[in-house]
Amino acid sequence: MIPIDRFLVLSTILFSLVMYGVLARRSAVLILMSVELMLQAVSINFIAFAVYLSPQRFTGMIFAIFVITIAAAEVGLALAIILRMYRNRATANVDEADTMKW
Amino acid sequence: MTGTLHLNWWLLAPEYILCAYAALLVLIDLFSNRAQKEMLGYVAAGGCALSAAVSLIWVDDKKDFANLIDVDNYTTLFRVFFAGIGFFACIASARYVKDRLLHAGEYYALILLAVVGANGMAAARELLTAYISLELLSFSLYVLTSYAKFDLRSNEGGLKYMLLGAFSSAIFLYGVSLVYGATGSTEFAAIGDKLAGGTGGIREGLFLGLSLMIAGLGFKVAAVPFHMWTPDAYEGAPLPVTAYISAISKSAGFALFLKLFTESFLPLIDDWRYFIAALSAATMALGNFVAIQQHNIKRLLAYSSIGQVGYLLMGIAALSPAAGSALVLHMVGYAATNLAAFVCIIIFYNWTGKEEIKDFAGLAERAPFLALSLSIALFSLAGMPLFAGFATKFILFQSAADQGLLWLAGVAVFFSFVSLYYYLIVIKEMYLEKPDEARRFPIPWREYAAVAVLIGAVFLVGLYPRPVYDLVESSTNVVFQQAPGGQQAAAQR
Repeated sequence: MIPIDRFLVLSTILFSLVMYGVLARRSAVLILMSVELMLQAVSINFIAFAVYLSPQRFTGMIFAIFVITIAAAEVGLALAIILRMYRNRATANVDEADTMKW
Repeated sequence: MTGTLHLNWWLLAPEYILCAYAALLVLIDLFSNRAQKEMLGYVAAGGCALSAAVSLIWVDDKKDFANLIDVDNYTTLFRVFFAGIGFFACIASARYVKDRLLHAGEYYALILLAVVGANGMAAARELLTAYISLELLSFSLYVLTSYAKFDLRSNEGGLKYMLLGAFSSAIFLYGVSLVYGATGSTEFAAIGDKLAGGTGGIREGLFLGLSLMIAGLGFKVAAVPFHMWTPDAYEGAPLPVTAYISAISKSAGFALFLKLFTESFLPLIDDWRYFIAALSAATMALGNFVAIQQHNIKRLLAYSSIGQVGYLLMGIAALSPAAGSALVLHMVGYAATNLAAFVCIIIFYNWTGKEEIKDFAGLAERAPFLALSLSIALFSLAGMPLFAGFATKFILFQSAADQGLLWLAGVAVFFSFVSLYYYLIVIKEMYLEKPDEARRFPIPWREYAAVAVLIGAVFLVGLYPRPVYDLVESSTNVVFQQAPGGQQAAAQR
C-alpha cells in the first residue's frame, strides 16, 4: 500500500497552491474555482484518512461525498451572484468591486 | 458508536415546520397580488412562533437523533432563541420587503431555512452535521445579502460575503479533516475522549487542524483578523437582512463554537486559551476604534458588532460552566438589543430612505418613541447600567476574571467606554440637533409593538437577569456534563 504521507503531502501542496490562487486572482470566477480546488484537497484528506484509519467505517468517505455535493451547490449559488454583479457592472473582477471601503 | 440508530423523526418536528412554512410561503407568493405581500411576513413570523412552541415539548428531555443531532435543553434554548430572531426579522421585514424588494415569498423562505441551519449548528453532535447546517445558514444569508438585485452595493456585499465565506468554509473543512485524521472520529464526544487520553504522536496535525478550525469559525462569527466581510456585507445587504445577519449568524456561530470546544477540545484548553484571548483583545480593539469614524449607521453597527464578538470570545477563552452561561446570556441580551436598534432604524428607513447618521438629526421631535427606543438600545450596547448590556457584560467579565483572564476583562471594560463615545454621537444627533423638517412620522403599530417587546426584554435582562440566567445555565450545563470528564473536571477549572 502507498504510505499515507504521500496523500497528505499531495493534499497539502494542492491546498497551499489554490490558497495562493484565492488570494492572488482578480476574477471572481477564478477565485471560485480555486475555492473548489481547496475543497478537493479536503476530500483527498478525508478519503485517505478513511482508508488508513478505519477501513470498516465510512465516516471519512461519507464526509467526502457531502463535501462534493455542497461544493456543487456552492458553485451554482456563487455563479448566480457573480452573474448578477456582471450584469450590473460589466465586470467580474473583485478589485473593481470597491464602492464600499472602510 | 453502537449498531442501532435512533431514527426518531418526530424529534425534528420544529425544523419540519420551518421547512413546510418555507415551501408554503413560496406557494402563497405565487397566488397573491402586490398589496398582499405584506401578509407574507406575518405568515412567516407565525411559522417561527409555531416552531418555537413545538420545540418546547423537549424541555428537560435528553434524546438524540441517530447519534447526529442532540435534542436537549441546549438545543431547545437555541431553537426558541433562533426562532425568536426569525420572528422579529420577519415582522421588521414586512413593510420593507413589500416596498423595496422583489420575490417576497423566497425572501421569507430563505429566512426560515436559515433558522433551520442555525438550529442544526446548535444541535449537532458531530462535525458533518455541524458543517452541513453551517452551510445551510451561510448559503441562505449569501442569497439574502444580494437580494436587492439592481442595487450595486447589495451585489458587491453579497459577492464579498460569498467568496470569503466559501474560502473560510474550505479552511474550516481542512481543519476538520486533520482533526478527523488525528483522532479517528468526527463525533464531538469521541474526539473529546480521545484527547483526554493524551495527544502523544498526533500533536502537530491536531494543532494545525485546531488552528484552521478556529480560523474558519472566526470568519463565521467575524473575529479580527477574519472580519473583513462584515462591514461590506452589512452595508450592502437590505436593512432587515443586516439585522438578521447581525443576530443569527453570530449566535449560531457561537452556539457551535461553545458546544464544539466544550465537548471536544476542553482537554487542550491550556494550549488554545491564549490564542483565543489574543483574538478577543484584537477584535475588541479594532471593532471599537474603527466604529468611531463611521458615518453610515449600518456600518457603525457592523463595527460595533465586531466589538461585541470580542466580548463573546472572552467566554470561549475562559471556558468554564460559569463562562459558558455568561457567554450565552450576553448573546441573548446582545441579540435582543441589536434587533431593537435595527427595528428602529428600519422604521426610520421605511419613511425616509436614508441611513446616514446625520440623517437622524432631530428624530426626538419627529418620533419621540423611536428616538427613545433607539437610545435605550444603544445605551444597552454600550453597557450602561439598567439595561441588558450592563448585567450581561458584568457577569461575562467576572467569569473571565475568575479564570485568570483579569487583564482581558480590563481591556474589555476600557473598550466598553470607547464604544460609549460613538453610540453617544448617534444619540446626540437625535436629541440635540434640529430636524430638517418638523413633520411627525406616522406610527406603524406592528413595528412599534415589536420594538416595545424587544425593549422590554432589554430591561428584563438588565434589571432582573436571574430567571434568564437560570434558564441559560440549565441549558449550558447539559453541554458541560458531556465534556470529557463530565461535571467534575469542568467544576475544577
